[in-house]
Amino acid sequence: MSLTEKAPAAVARPGATRPAGYGLVRTGPASFLVHRRSVLAAAVLLLLLAAVSVAYLCVGERTIAPGEVLTILTGGDSPAAFVVEELRAPRLVTALAVGAAFGIAGALIQTVARNPLASPDIIGISQGAGAVTVAAMTFGLASYTVLPYLSIAGGVLAAALVYVFAWRGGLHATRFVLIGIGFAIALRSLITLFMTKGDFLVAQQAQIWLTGSLNGRGWEESAPVRWTLLLMLPAVLWAARAQRTVSLDDATATALGVRLGRVRLGLVAVGVVLASVATGVAGPVDFVALLAPQIARRVTRTAQIPLFCSALLGALIVTAADLIGRRLFSPVELPVGVLTAAVGAPYLIWLIVRSRTGEKA
Amino acid sequence: MTRLTARGLTLAYENRVVVEDLDLEVPDGKVTVIVGPNACGKSTTLRALGRLLKPVRGAVLLDGEELAKLPTKRIARSIGLLPQTPVAPEAITVADLVARGRQPHQAWWKQWSEEDERAVTEAMARTDVAALADRSVDELSGGQRQRVWIAMALAQETDLLLLDEPTTYLDIAHQVEVLDLVRRLNRTRGRTVVLVLHDLNQAARYADHLIAMKAGRVVAQGAPAEIVTDAMVRDVFGLPAVVVPDPVTGSPLVVPGAPWDAAVSSDAP
Repeated sequence: MSLTEKAPAAVARPGATRPAGYGLVRTGPASFLVHRRSVLAAAVLLLLLAAVSVAYLCVGERTIAPGEVLTILTGGDSPAAFVVEELRAPRLVTALAVGAAFGIAGALIQTVARNPLASPDIIGISQGAGAVTVAAMTFGLASYTVLPYLSIAGGVLAAALVYVFAWRGGLHATRFVLIGIGFAIALRSLITLFMTKGDFLVAQQAQIWLTGSLNGRGWEESAPVRWTLLLMLPAVLWAARAQRTVSLDDATATALGVRLGRVRLGLVAVGVVLASVATGVAGPVDFVALLAPQIARRVTRTAQIPLFCSALLGALIVTAADLIGRRLFSPVELPVGVLTAAVGAPYLIWLIVRSRTGEKA
Repeated sequence: MTRLTARGLTLAYENRVVVEDLDLEVPDGKVTVIVGPNACGKSTTLRALGRLLKPVRGAVLLDGEELAKLPTKRIARSIGLLPQTPVAPEAITVADLVARGRQPHQAWWKQWSEEDERAVTEAMARTDVAALADRSVDELSGGQRQRVWIAMALAQETDLLLLDEPTTYLDIAHQVEVLDLVRRLNRTRGRTVVLVLHDLNQAARYADHLIAMKAGRVVAQGAPAEIVTDAMVRDVFGLPAVVVPDPVTGSPLVVPGAPWDAAVSSDAP
């Protein structure tokens, strides 16, 4: 099956009513449905990711041959070892982890909101993280080691407020998005206020953080997002299954025995934590959480947003954008968020234009 | 025998009471149809029977146990419900959607069994959508789509099936098709079905047990031949009408009073 192959239409498959395109994996009493095209897409994305990662390690102020990079990674000695191991590899791992976290977060929030426009940077989570971080920076309230944690707290708090305000005897998807947008605007002006109040140099630093940057992020800085991804793995596996029913309408999902309130809260919570942690580490890298799930869905053609492929695409987008940002106007480095916004903003406009023509997104 | 009953049910949206102190019994193995004018609370009642709406007072009982106290997944193995306007995820295939009806019988580690396979095959055969299995639900006609949704509810394999206005937005041929399907399921599989219908004539034709509601209360219930009368139609719908036997089935057929201009000319001296 190729990526461009169309599903055959109107052909009965006698005896095969297992949903089209799914394979069955059995081990003992357990059985799992696996979407074949998603597996294929994931394999292709992993290859692309490997290629971009190698390029990421090779390219820089000093170009290092792929063979030499491989020698260094397998423990060999080389004069370039410091650049690869201490500078590029930690930053690469940060890019991968941040991108994956944004990809999953966007997928989960879009699933619950049933809206492709819903992503952490649209519904106020990034702005919540930003407001707290910028406040701490400009008023000198925090040292740089605790900033990521403050930012995580800010993101989670903003999400909780949006959730509470959107709740009226149940969670209404559109309400959730609109209230989120309202909060995002309010928090954004709060950020501006803090920046005008603060010292000029600090405000400039805050601006870079707000754009989303991986500059200077090493093993220590990326630890929160790496650990969170690992700890959230069981929750993400649960979420992938829960998406099957949450993507239906409320009444149908409830009739199928889904405790919708709890499941949705669970999905949003996982998404918010991942988005907040990633924002805490790299700043709000705009549009990644918006783009990755939508592209993943179009590539895999699943009825719900594929989580694993969203994670891979998020990682791919951030890594590629950072690689380009580092080299495009070298020696001046563009923050990764500038690149993702340059691609993401037109895509967002396209999504809105398309949805106005009556097509569902 | 009734597995599903309502006792002293009061239902409200926010502070607006829609149904008050309603008692109801759904006879097992029969087709029950709830009718009534717009905003009489018929859909609201059905939603409560399917635990989509929590009663303010009173309770819905399944086998004598309060729905509100039963795990929702357990209810889903006994009661299937098709809402008025279900929404399918974009680009989902027919077989994928129908397969999701198996949710209450599955677990995270048991996503597909032979039982699931059999139930889905059977549901699709019964609703005549097997040939559409690989098609996207988006590209189906209204009638086909409604059959697919019914197939999903059937795949759930529940003894009780609640359908909220399943004929809305369908032309008359597709309306009859869906209602015939409902009757066939009831007659050949012994499923208990509760329908909310807008059309009194269709209700009278397909119901074994008819429940007429007005302003949140049950006004009349029983076999259509016994309760559908000129007086009942005037009382419930406020419509002057003549009830005659349906020329095909013999069930009551409601013919509304003369149209405005005819009425005016007949009044003229």
